Amino acid sequence: MSGAGTRPMRAAVRLAVALVAMATVAGGGQALAQEAARLRSVEKVLAPLVESHGVSGMEAPVRETVQRLLPAWARTETDTAGNLWLTMGKGEPTVVFVAHLDEIGFTVTAIRDDGTLDAVAAGGLFPWLWQGQPALVHTGGRTVPAVFAPRDTARPPPAADADTVVRVDPGTGSRAATEALGVRPGNTVTSPKRYVRLLGTRATGRSFDDRVGSASLVLAARALDPARLGHTVIFIWSVREEIGLEGARAAAAALGLRPARVHAIDTFVSADSPLERPNFALAPLGRGPVARALDNSAVTPPAYVDSLVAFARSRRLPLQVGTTNGGNDGSAFTDWGVPDVPIGWPLRYSHSPVELVDLRDVAGLADIVRALAEGW
Amino acid sequence: MVQGERVPTVAVLALSLLASMVGPGRLSGQSGETDLPELATRLAALTAVTGYEQRLVDSIVALLPGAVRDRAGNGVIVLGSGERRRLVACPVSEPGFVVGRIRDDGWLTLRRAPGRVAPGFERQIEGQRVSLFGRRGAVPGVVAVRSIHLTRGRGTPPASTFTLDSAYVDIGAATRAGAGVAGVEVLTPVALAKRPQRYGPDLLAAPVVARRSACAALVLAARRAIAEQGMVPRGQSVVVAFVVEQELLGRGLATVATTRGPFAETVLVDGGAGTPGLVTRTADSLARRWPTLGTVTRWSLGARYLGTPVETTSFAGADSLQRALGRWIGGGQ
Repeated sequence: MSGAGTRPMRAAVRLAVALVAMATVAGGGQALAQEAARLRSVEKVLAPLVESHGVSGMEAPVRETVQRLLPAWARTETDTAGNLWLTMGKGEPTVVFVAHLDEIGFTVTAIRDDGTLDAVAAGGLFPWLWQGQPALVHTGGRTVPAVFAPRDTARPPPAADADTVVRVDPGTGSRAATEALGVRPGNTVTSPKRYVRLLGTRATGRSFDDRVGSASLVLAARALDPARLGHTVIFIWSVREEIGLEGARAAAAALGLRPARVHAIDTFVSADSPLERPNFALAPLGRGPVARALDNSAVTPPAYVDSLVAFARSRRLPLQVGTTNGGNDGSAFTDWGVPDVPIGWPLRYSHSPVELVDLRDVAGLADIVRALAEGW
Repeated sequence: MVQGERVPTVAVLALSLLASMVGPGRLSGQSGETDLPELATRLAALTAVTGYEQRLVDSIVALLPGAVRDRAGNGVIVLGSGERRRLVACPVSEPGFVVGRIRDDGWLTLRRAPGRVAPGFERQIEGQRVSLFGRRGAVPGVVAVRSIHLTRGRGTPPASTFTLDSAYVDIGAATRAGAGVAGVEVLTPVALAKRPQRYGPDLLAAPVVARRSACAALVLAARRAIAEQGMVPRGQSVVVAFVVEQELLGRGLATVATTRGPFAETVLVDGGAGTPGLVTRTADSLARRWPTLGTVTRWSLGARYLGTPVETTSFAGADSLQRALGRWIGGGQ
């Protein structure tokens, strides 16, 4: 075979290879663009939720954000506890999904003569992460800017589980001036919050726990067609989870024996950090939602875990299985024998000002919530 | 929602816009009260880690027609042309960190920039958002902190044991290369993300806010002197300097002293512990080290919570400082 004869063939092969490569690149590019668009749609729901303030007992701003983000067809109800309900479909079985609206923060206990405030932690947190940082006092009617007074550097920080008192300075100089701003004991205090996109698919902010769960229910509701549901699905955005699952207990009492199962959609606190021991809870970020099979409040029946994993595989949905610390709202339903099958997503730096997630996990969480609602 | 942070770029643009909006001609007819809170807040939002102050200096130079950057990196302008020289200087530097190492898994570790710092300074970054000023602009990150849930029941004292050696910065990168693509490398400056907070009747809280407010007061006093030519008494000149590396043995001030002196007198404006907004004047011993500074007086703008992320001063105090500086430039006391 002469060289002259092989030249057109080589050229044809090169062209074919190039076309295949271009098609691959184009296809890959299209997939990347689709993924980017998907994550942007996640952010449009997650960011306003993260930037809403709602310490346990003062969740109204977050509840209103959820209502604003839900599709037009959604008819919600707020119960006397403050939980937000969205009931879809008809008939049995009834499946319940619960994500909580509230976040950790502080509650004002006293106003001192110099106008500064004493405040105690609402929920578990390391107080020194807030001391010496900007603050916002939520009076119910207005938001008053302030600062958390810096900790006394001469003394070691207090134990995290102590009845921690921090001091909040609204800069008024007197009790009367502070009260004139509408500040009262019982008001809540947070720090200013921003949703910040990091490199790649990561994002940081305060209160991803449990705004990610809340966002996933909103995203799932947007994707669901309630007319095509063959059974009843109830989404509940609950209140006062961080101070003892109080909202979920009220919802569970209202539903009694009716639910066939409950899915708490809440954080999987991950040990995916150089500071953590990897003995358990090691669910890497970016590898999908996590079946929270065992925590401090509940154990998912093993048959349900196996079935859930098989379901996710059949739908090609990423799912990790793990165990972590903490409690979940679904456990409040177990007094009625309702199986609790909680699902989370990996979170770094829980209950800190800089909680961190991978947006692919958030999108995956919404996908699996939708799939489970449609039929498992 | 924030798609990353472009603090320096945005801030420089904003300051440039401010400069164009309040040209010397317009400013001359104003009291300064209008512009000072805005400028103090903008300067407080900028970062100038010791040794890496150039973006802030450039921003200030852009506000002062005729100002230059000298060989040490200071921003300097000379008002008047007389033989009797006086100096007024404001430090721009702040304590901070640089990237010390980039791990294969994308986490960064830190080294502190040299110089004196307040007690507990390093603990201020635990579990907080930081900004890294890489070659491609500012990159947001967070300093890792233990998850409180995972400390329970493990016999682990939950009290903070944070030291700089346990500071892992998470910028979202999963690999060393990922950090590099964002322009982050060893020696990239790192500091707490700045979020100045206005509160109370006229208070402003931010890291090194008293120093920044003092510099804002000096910028506006100098702008007024530029606009009102002839403000400096005949036979005198006033060197206005925004000096770098103050925490590093005052290297920037030393350069001004050796290259622009001798001075008959020097005023060093800065922040200091005290009632927010109260300006105190104290004699300073700097002249022993650099005799060409002449008689040195420190004018300190009082701050509460000095050296913390919520260091607090007042706009009224900064305005008072601005007026006093204007009088001093004009030859008064």
